[in-house]
Amino acid sequence: MHFVNQSYQYDHPWSHVVIGMWHKYPNPKCTHVVSIDVLDRSVDPKSGVIRTERILGCKQKAPKWIVKLFGGSEDAFVREISFIDPRTQNATITSENLSLSQFATCLEQIQYTPSPTTPGCTLFLQTAEIQARMAIWRSAADGLEKWMAQRFEQNAQLGKMAFTDVLRRLWDERQVAHV
Amino acid sequence: MAESLAHECTPLKKEYDSCFNAWFEGYLEPAVSASSSRDRYSEYSQRKAEEFQQKCGKIWEEYRGCVHKALKEKGLDAMIQQSREENPLVQPPPLP
Repeated sequence: MHFVNQSYQYDHPWSHVVIGMWHKYPNPKCTHVVSIDVLDRSVDPKSGVIRTERILGCKQKAPKWIVKLFGGSEDAFVREISFIDPRTQNATITSENLSLSQFATCLEQIQYTPSPTTPGCTLFLQTAEIQARMAIWRSAADGLEKWMAQRFEQNAQLGKMAFTDVLRRLWDERQVAHV
Repeated sequence: MAESLAHECTPLKKEYDSCFNAWFEGYLEPAVSASSSRDRYSEYSQRKAEEFQQKCGKIWEEYRGCVHKALKEKGLDAMIQQSREENPLVQPPPLP
């Protein structure tokens, strides 16, 4: 089992971050994400909560030994479910790998809320649980988990930088245009 | 805007995404403002949910049909079904 825990603050209000969420890809900093499709979306008329289910297609070069042992290809798919609640100003995004899931799971949870300390900013919390599923050779399982955790951290870092760019482009440039 | 997993669905995806984004941008900030009054918020959510269906319902049906067909062809629907059974996530997860 590997755990990852990160937090970060974006210099944009919550509504801007949540609108920006849908513009994150394609992104030159995240070329591993090659496709996104919405599988399901609903707007709850009572609570106003928007639930979206998406499938993301990624191209990730796995080490040869992982491909040999676990099969799989360059194409990896991820299922993402998000809930956006304007009433509580809370957005949660849960993602899980579909590919290689019979061997290991990477369950990620992201939360965006207005920053409790800095007005006009948004707090980003990210946790991930990476676990090998079957009773396979301990060292192989550890290796797979470790590789997934490394990729996850790398991608998380790129994702933060990429999203910062998107928000800047979407909102700061808009402000300038209006002046 | 990113591509669809199936080339033929990409134009439908782009049209649907544009429709949703336009609606969503108009929806969010007034929703946050209306959240202080329960009645006003309910009335607003109801109206906006209907408006989303009216504006984007048709393109959604076309896009969803295309994607579901592609998922079956690529053999991905079984994986998705299994993931849905294990983690349905029909409600938001509890806050940490």
